[in-house]
Amino acid sequence: MQFTIEVGRYNSEGIYADTAVPGRSFPPPWDKSPERRYQTYTVELPEHAVVLDALIAIREYQDPSLAVRCACRSAICGSCAMWINGHANLACKSKLAAFTNDGKTRVESPPSMPLIRDLVCDMTPFWEKHLAVKPWLENKEPIPPANEEYRVPNAAMDELIQEVSCISCSACLMDCESFAVNPDFLGPQALAQAYRYVGDPRDDKTKERLAELSKPGGIWDCTHCYECVTQCPKGVAPLDQILKLRKLAVDAGFTNNAGTRHADAFASSVKHSGRLNELTLLPLSTGIFNIIGQLKTLPSAFNMARAGKLPPLIHKAIPGVERIRKIFQRVGGRFK
Amino acid sequence: MKVAFFPGCVSKGACPELYVSANLIAEPLGLELHELTQAPCTGAGVLSEQNPELADALNGLTLAMAEAEGADLMTICSTCQGVLSNHNYKFAHDEARLERANATIADQGFRYGGTTKVKHLLWMLFEDIGEDRIRAAIKRKLTGLKIAPFYGCYILRPVESLGLKERPERKGYLERLITMLGAEAVEYKGATKCCGFPMITFNRDKALAMGGNHIIEAKEKGADLLVTPCPLCHLNLDGQQPDAARVLKKDIGVPIFHLPQLLGLAFGFEPDQLRLNHHVVSTKGALEKVELKV
Amino acid sequence: MGAGLAGMRAALEAARAGANVAIVTKVHPIRSHSSAAQGGINAAISEDDTWESHAFDTVKGSDYLADQDAVEVMCREAPSDIIEFEHMGVIFYRNEEGKLGRRAFGGASLARTYFVGDITGQALLVTLYDQILKAGVKVYEEWFATALHMEDGACRGLIALEMVTGELHLLRSKAVIVASGGLGRLYEPSTNALICTGDGYSLAYRAGAPLMDMAMVQYHPTTLAGSGFLMTEAARGEGAYLLNSEGDRFMKKYAPNKMELAARDVTSRAEATEIAEGRGIDGNVLLDLRHLGRDVILKKLPQIHEMALDYLDIDMIEQPVPVRPGMHYQMGGIQTNVDGATKVPGIYAAGEVACVSVHGGNRLGANSLLDTIVFGRRSGKASAEYAKSVPQSGGGEDLLRREQARLTDLLSRPYTGETCAGLRLELATMMDAKVGLYRSDAGLKEALQALHGFRKRYENVAVGDKGRIFNQALTFVLELGFMLDCGETIIHDALHRTESRGAHTRVDHPERNDQEWLKHSLLTFRESGEPALSHVPVTLTRWKPEVRTY
Repeated sequence: MQFTIEVGRYNSEGIYADTAVPGRSFPPPWDKSPERRYQTYTVELPEHAVVLDALIAIREYQDPSLAVRCACRSAICGSCAMWINGHANLACKSKLAAFTNDGKTRVESPPSMPLIRDLVCDMTPFWEKHLAVKPWLENKEPIPPANEEYRVPNAAMDELIQEVSCISCSACLMDCESFAVNPDFLGPQALAQAYRYVGDPRDDKTKERLAELSKPGGIWDCTHCYECVTQCPKGVAPLDQILKLRKLAVDAGFTNNAGTRHADAFASSVKHSGRLNELTLLPLSTGIFNIIGQLKTLPSAFNMARAGKLPPLIHKAIPGVERIRKIFQRVGGRFK
Repeated sequence: MKVAFFPGCVSKGACPELYVSANLIAEPLGLELHELTQAPCTGAGVLSEQNPELADALNGLTLAMAEAEGADLMTICSTCQGVLSNHNYKFAHDEARLERANATIADQGFRYGGTTKVKHLLWMLFEDIGEDRIRAAIKRKLTGLKIAPFYGCYILRPVESLGLKERPERKGYLERLITMLGAEAVEYKGATKCCGFPMITFNRDKALAMGGNHIIEAKEKGADLLVTPCPLCHLNLDGQQPDAARVLKKDIGVPIFHLPQLLGLAFGFEPDQLRLNHHVVSTKGALEKVELKV
Repeated sequence: MGAGLAGMRAALEAARAGANVAIVTKVHPIRSHSSAAQGGINAAISEDDTWESHAFDTVKGSDYLADQDAVEVMCREAPSDIIEFEHMGVIFYRNEEGKLGRRAFGGASLARTYFVGDITGQALLVTLYDQILKAGVKVYEEWFATALHMEDGACRGLIALEMVTGELHLLRSKAVIVASGGLGRLYEPSTNALICTGDGYSLAYRAGAPLMDMAMVQYHPTTLAGSGFLMTEAARGEGAYLLNSEGDRFMKKYAPNKMELAARDVTSRAEATEIAEGRGIDGNVLLDLRHLGRDVILKKLPQIHEMALDYLDIDMIEQPVPVRPGMHYQMGGIQTNVDGATKVPGIYAAGEVACVSVHGGNRLGANSLLDTIVFGRRSGKASAEYAKSVPQSGGGEDLLRREQARLTDLLSRPYTGETCAGLRLELATMMDAKVGLYRSDAGLKEALQALHGFRKRYENVAVGDKGRIFNQALTFVLELGFMLDCGETIIHDALHRTESRGAHTRVDHPERNDQEWLKHSLLTFRESGEPALSHVPVTLTRWKPEVRTY
């Protein structure tokens, strides 16, 4: 079957292959412009072929100047994550047929990562964030002797398989919406790996980890958009791990942050009236003593009032609100 | 067609224009709205994250109420849709979890049997109401308008609980609707991305930049307005738009419509009936293009 | 050189011993092929097990070619090495008592394989990488080694191409541990990643370190039909069957006791025989896991379940999976002692690239991961000790200049019609056909001729990318050169070993011949091109060679 594939090319040197290779779709010598551009190729492959098959076929027989990271071809090494039709995926796991839009597949290095060349991005931001969460076991005392393992239930190890399945492909960070506007955000992979250690009963630094993770750039800078869960090829579901961390952090007492206040304000509103009271949500989440924070939200409050969109000052409870309050009493936890 | 109508908190709070327009378009669409007035807030994912058991009970109650009505639960908010679908999916795959939720709501006389279908108005348009009915209701084609769809994360992800593996066409309903109403759907990357609302209290500037960037992208692709099925997105994209413009140091000025408002216009309702005169970002420019005043 | 399990373990140990150590790796450590190992790692940890039993299984598995003293070292030290990894945080499977739990594996008298789902290699690799981060070991990431720096007959560093900038660097050191992994790309099909191109074998060989037992190339019995991806032995460990086209568990004919868990060479040959005799299905046999049930498959074998779905649209819960033997592992390699030292001062080796020899003529499943961590550790320690006693090199600049010139020449070659990928494919297809599961004198002679032909054509392969930044076309051509060296040594070794042992099966010499061949073959590089052949006896300690049946 014939497939058409559009590949994002870039080389700051502007030098591409200048030897004639049969079957090439463009004449040598290639122009030396260093700008990013798309180059179209057609390949003949079996119908179940994946994007990586096409890229390898191109660089082996059509255009040897195409740079792409790949190794295992079977979704375990994590090398070949890239944007395929605008979303981060492993090239070796993406069937061309499933990723054909208007008769072609477009691949490129994601704009959220610095670019080295063609499909090879600079993974430094990713590795730095990984390192930043101190992703290694800080052994809990007493450490068993050299011929003895820690005794832990299999369920505890099983629970971590999801996080350990991460192959560091970076698809999650590539499509992370928070990272796109906030380069300081630790990002889904690093946070999922942070949970891997927080959730390990043999690790000694849970409190310290949670304290660090509750700081700016950490668990509360995630916008909860599920892109990482959707794009992760190994089912790590980073957002789920971030949410686990949030709950653990709050339960551990790291509550002096907008995230906790937000949840508290939300819960108290729903407990009281069965509904969210947007009027109080924003100021309560910001923190009543956070003057600057409060002042920042004033302009939008004023705009809303002017447009007649301010919710009623007296927040009415829904009929049957006693039911809701009973539920809170029963299972409200710290929101009781 | 009878539906158990779950308007969500925001349509009865900061976005009354949504509630009003949703009620107006019910008749032309043949929808009989039985509002679940006693159903609580879904928790918007915030409660699910901090106390899953609490969120299970609250949403189990809502689902049970819809089940008692004997009708599908219709949402008009992507976030409500996402949270309710999520809990519904978990109940369907974890009997023990459903049992625990039922134990909590039992003495209020409710028990959720797991049969409620949760559907956003956007889905019902194509899956239950049908294109023919919609076309028949159109009195005013929106020709000349370039409309950018903005779905809102929780009506698109996670894929499993939203049934998107079985019905991938749900990912394109807004574009289809826009075209059906006679307008041109703007193609841009931000359509499926995040407005920033979940983060607005944690990291205000970044949350505003997020939403603002997407609107600007749509604007640069020629959009006259954005339409969204989520009032929380609306709050961020419309309510906070002037602040976003300030943070990004760029002019924005693109009005944001709720889905029912767009339908309402097409069905012949007047802008002020749909409260299009009660937005933070003026809808005037867009309405003028279809010869309407606000 | 190399950042897989062996390389990182060696570096960690050397750092702990106080050495100034750096890792040079052509891909990021996490991308190393160690991550593809699936099934598990062996050790006699359990109370009902003994290291002697593990050692015997290994020796028998090797078809008595393994050096028994080296096997004793590995099996004795295995338990503490695995526990050490557990202390590092590996999330090994646990039994009801919360202790390490095990599964059955090929060629073992009792279950002694410790594992993490079917992602054991990856679980070990990511944990070890995290430990490298914790220890702050310097990693030269995406630096491609092109030559070893030799001074006064000793290795004092290497030359590496920094991929991101295209700059060539001289890295001086007192020793180099070669841990660059296997050579699977020399064969087609192979389970190996595209980066397994035999770099270390060739570099060490040309620097004077003999290669040992290169003919011993393992074919894994269960590689996925078509793609050749690895379907872990753990599937059979959990109870999967191998079936022919008649629905028979044919292993009863070849290994009536161990059945599907016989040694890999026995199983691969059995499959090949069934296929050749017309009881295959499109050149494959079937791996049947249906009776294991959904829970076991999804819990214990999730990765291969997903692979069969992804690449063949087959759900192994419902259907058997077509598999066939595929080239997988090189038992032979750079000759070392039990401390990773080679004949060349300053060159150490560990992991798949080394030959201690613990695997002899055939490697048992789950012994490779063990090999990497035991001998990675030992060579790290030994090389650090060695480094204390030798001076730092002052030279190497002329080597750097020569390498620079060589690469420049290579880049300026004109295109003549020969593509690197095309030539490699021809080479690899030839190796599979003539130097694979079954070999013969005639076939091997043809192979040698073909290889020499490929070498000549290699001189004409041009580099299709003339740039400096991340020039993969250049490194592919260099890798093909390494593969040719590996191919040459394998063919010579296979040609001269006129017996069948382990993975090496000569149809013209079908019996094992302990009288003449209970010895290792050594291949030493000569400028003329043809390796010098010599032998060393196999070290026997407790076990006399016996007839090997399963």
